[in-house]
Amino acid sequence: MRTFGMSLAAALLLAGPLSPPAAAQSTDGESSRAAIVERSQADKSTKLRPYVPSGFEMAVTRVEKTMLNGTMKWHPFLEGAYTGAGFSPGVGYMTHVSPYSTLDVRGNVSIRNYKVAEAEFISPRLFHRRAELSVVGGWREATQVGFYGIGPNSTTANRADFAFEQPYAGARFKVKPTRRLWVLGGGADVARWSFNDPTGIAPSVDSVYTPATLPGLGITTTFVHSQATVGFDWRPAQAYARRGGFYSITAHDYTDNDSRFGFRRVDYRVTQHFPILRESWVLSLNGQASATFNKDGQQVPFYMLPYLGGGSTLRGYSSHRFRDRDSVLIQGEWRIMVNRFMDTAVFYDAGKVASQHSEMDFHGMRTDYGFGARFHTPFATALRIDVARSTEGTRLVFATSSAF
Amino acid sequence: MRSTRLTASLAMVAAVFFGVTASTTSLRFLGDDPLVKEPDSQDASQAQASEIGDLYEMVYNLFEQPKYKPSGLRAQNINTVDEVPDSSWFTNRVTAQPLSAADLVRGPNVGAPPDPSKWVIFREKTSGVHPGFTARDAKGETWFLEFDPPYYPEGATAALLMASKFYWAFGYNQVETFLTTLDPRHVEFDPKATIKRPNGKRTRFTRDDLDEVLERVARRPDGTYRVVAGRLLPGKVLGYFRYEGTRPDDPNDLVPHEHRRELRALRVFGAWTNLTDLKSKNTLDTLVVENGRPVVKHWLQDVGSTFGMNNDLHEWDLSWEHFYQGDTTLKRLASFGFTRSPWQTVDYVEKPAIGKFEGTRFDPMTWRPQTATTAYMEMRPDDAFWAARRVAAFNREMITAIIHTGQFTDPSVEPALVNIMLKRRDKILRAYLPAVNPVVAPRLRERELVFDNAAVNADVARAPRLYTSAWFEFDNATRALRPLGESSSPTTSIEAPAALPNQMGSFVAIDIAADGTDYASWRRPVRAYFRRQPEGWTLVGLDREPDGNAGQVASLR
Repeated sequence: MRTFGMSLAAALLLAGPLSPPAAAQSTDGESSRAAIVERSQADKSTKLRPYVPSGFEMAVTRVEKTMLNGTMKWHPFLEGAYTGAGFSPGVGYMTHVSPYSTLDVRGNVSIRNYKVAEAEFISPRLFHRRAELSVVGGWREATQVGFYGIGPNSTTANRADFAFEQPYAGARFKVKPTRRLWVLGGGADVARWSFNDPTGIAPSVDSVYTPATLPGLGITTTFVHSQATVGFDWRPAQAYARRGGFYSITAHDYTDNDSRFGFRRVDYRVTQHFPILRESWVLSLNGQASATFNKDGQQVPFYMLPYLGGGSTLRGYSSHRFRDRDSVLIQGEWRIMVNRFMDTAVFYDAGKVASQHSEMDFHGMRTDYGFGARFHTPFATALRIDVARSTEGTRLVFATSSAF
Repeated sequence: MRSTRLTASLAMVAAVFFGVTASTTSLRFLGDDPLVKEPDSQDASQAQASEIGDLYEMVYNLFEQPKYKPSGLRAQNINTVDEVPDSSWFTNRVTAQPLSAADLVRGPNVGAPPDPSKWVIFREKTSGVHPGFTARDAKGETWFLEFDPPYYPEGATAALLMASKFYWAFGYNQVETFLTTLDPRHVEFDPKATIKRPNGKRTRFTRDDLDEVLERVARRPDGTYRVVAGRLLPGKVLGYFRYEGTRPDDPNDLVPHEHRRELRALRVFGAWTNLTDLKSKNTLDTLVVENGRPVVKHWLQDVGSTFGMNNDLHEWDLSWEHFYQGDTTLKRLASFGFTRSPWQTVDYVEKPAIGKFEGTRFDPMTWRPQTATTAYMEMRPDDAFWAARRVAAFNREMITAIIHTGQFTDPSVEPALVNIMLKRRDKILRAYLPAVNPVVAPRLRERELVFDNAAVNADVARAPRLYTSAWFEFDNATRALRPLGESSSPTTSIEAPAALPNQMGSFVAIDIAADGTDYASWRRPVRAYFRRQPEGWTLVGLDREPDGNAGQVASLR
């Protein structure tokens, strides 16, 4: 930008006053200031050129136009195939199929060789901007999902792994009847779980458990999953907020193709952000609970049990570290606004899994603590880096979303 | 990045405008000094529309601009008496002639207000922080309409209207702006009206598009909407001007914009009115025909980010910090936020129509727009002094007259705003008027030099014990000074030495300083030059802060 200062040519044009030209003499013999200025302007008029932006300006402007004009088709896709995938570089290609509706085809492969390829259609402005429809279909593979046993007292020494691949398809419908605050959602999807040999260093679950001791082990199962949500959301944005809250209840029904592993689950979530000193600090609290309910004569398969552990639950523990029929999680973050683009935070997580609803209390919770940095826009978290410490060690979390 | 070529060019520009030259044989003062109007002598019809992207300007101003080292150079578009001549950028108003309340209320408006009995929408609004449309009124005239957000009812529309009058009075080219009404029942859509969609294509503007905007703005109980309407500017739109460099396609644009005093002075005017969104996209260049010649005219087209109205309801740090500041970032990072910033605790008047605007904790020296421009960084104490004199020209009645145009429903808003403006005005005057030698308006009568002290007159400084003067005969060709004598006075009237020349065309130079004052800067003399003419002595030159006072410049930053 600074390069469009006066050129040498223009500078030379202004040399007039150093030796006042005859043309600049007024009738009383003195030079005229206006005449000198006019002569310089006349000289510049012979050397006019259009403004030429620098290479940097052109590049940034091109990026901006691409974003604003809906022509940015290719985009990074970093969301892993499944929790615990690790860093998952990938790309997506999104195109508008109507002024607002998009079709996004994307995929990635993680450092643990988890893979996902999927296509998603989103129509965000149905019913006069009150509803959003999302239809997604794809395939994913997870190669080394940890399983440490069922219950709150499992140990890391008992880790076993399983691997699965899964084609899936589904549709979700989200309605905001008043366009704000109230959120109603519903959807259905179908997914087939089929299991492979895990590739990690931990033994395979097949070698540790049997189908009798671990429901669902080794059995390819297709689930039809339906869900309904009612929520109250007064955060400024879902993906980054320093005030407001989100309260929701979601009911799920899972029905398998041979009626062996059907169950119901209810998820409860309460998130509240308390701004302090004009949002320069934010005390953010999150509580989540999940409870499963057997269908008659059926069991919850081990891989669909509620779990804790990983980058957005108990951050100081491995992904899926604790599994059982129910889970409860409470999290607190003290977020510090460093500037408009960066927050730091100290956090504390506590949670437990339980085999019965009556055990969903605050006794015997697993805890961790840590600190982190978040880089964000006003509405979304671009990168979250957390360092979390628990009794099982220190873990580093990289994520492209807020913890809650 | 600045080259020596540019430095040389600046020296030559300076020579053109205020007569500082390196030659010992050229005339210091020319026949038409001081220049009262910057000529636009050339046909600028070759000027082409160009744009600057929001993202580029933001990135540049946030991360490149902080590295910029101000040149310390005196403004380059000032004339020989340290004033800004009228130009396609600026017209001296508030200090040039007494402005009545009626003048101020009228401001830039010369035409009739819009007829809101019908609005025909034909395009969305593409700039500014608050929602709006481009529409034609019942008379078919094109207007840019802007609404109040629901959390600032009346505030945003009033801010734009009032600021347009303040900035017009300062001297800037301003859009004609009116408060009016939009009744959705009387809105139509031009058959060719389009709106840009997220897929980048323009499709027909629909009632739902109107509804979507109206859902996000403040609605009156009767179902109508208060809007502020800006009249379409005449001429061909050439895009935004930049706060540095010159337009290479405009032959009349000789002075790099960062060295235009009126653009530097936006740091002071911006602080007073809280114009936090100082960016190119809030400016406009148009090609207009003046005196039969196409010339480029430069506008501050959107001054609505004023009076606390640029902030979202929860943007507390605006006007206290740039969008990004390395020093505060480091402090908060290192202290986990325990290093407090003023914006965290400052008290605001809790009125939606006022927003985050106050005068008690306000400090003009630490006020910050969203991002700094090059012109902002180049401001020197003499530029700030020049701006502060214009701020000083606004008395309570003038401020009240403008604030009254905001038409606030809540009767307590107007006096509250007036009081805030007065508090901020006084702080600006205290900060900037005494910071340089404040001697202004020197007049040389037959045997008496009379002048004013801008800081004392504004009641922000005590008069010095003594004014001193050193008198010289000045040779306009050789610049030689021949001492004539010295004199002093406890008042702003000093007797001339007996040896004053009296032949027509002769010059005298007078160094005027103060003694017995708290301000060191007052002991540095202002030099005034007078030329003997048939009607008497005429002021032709005034040097307040020559180039080289780097220490003083640093004190402003």
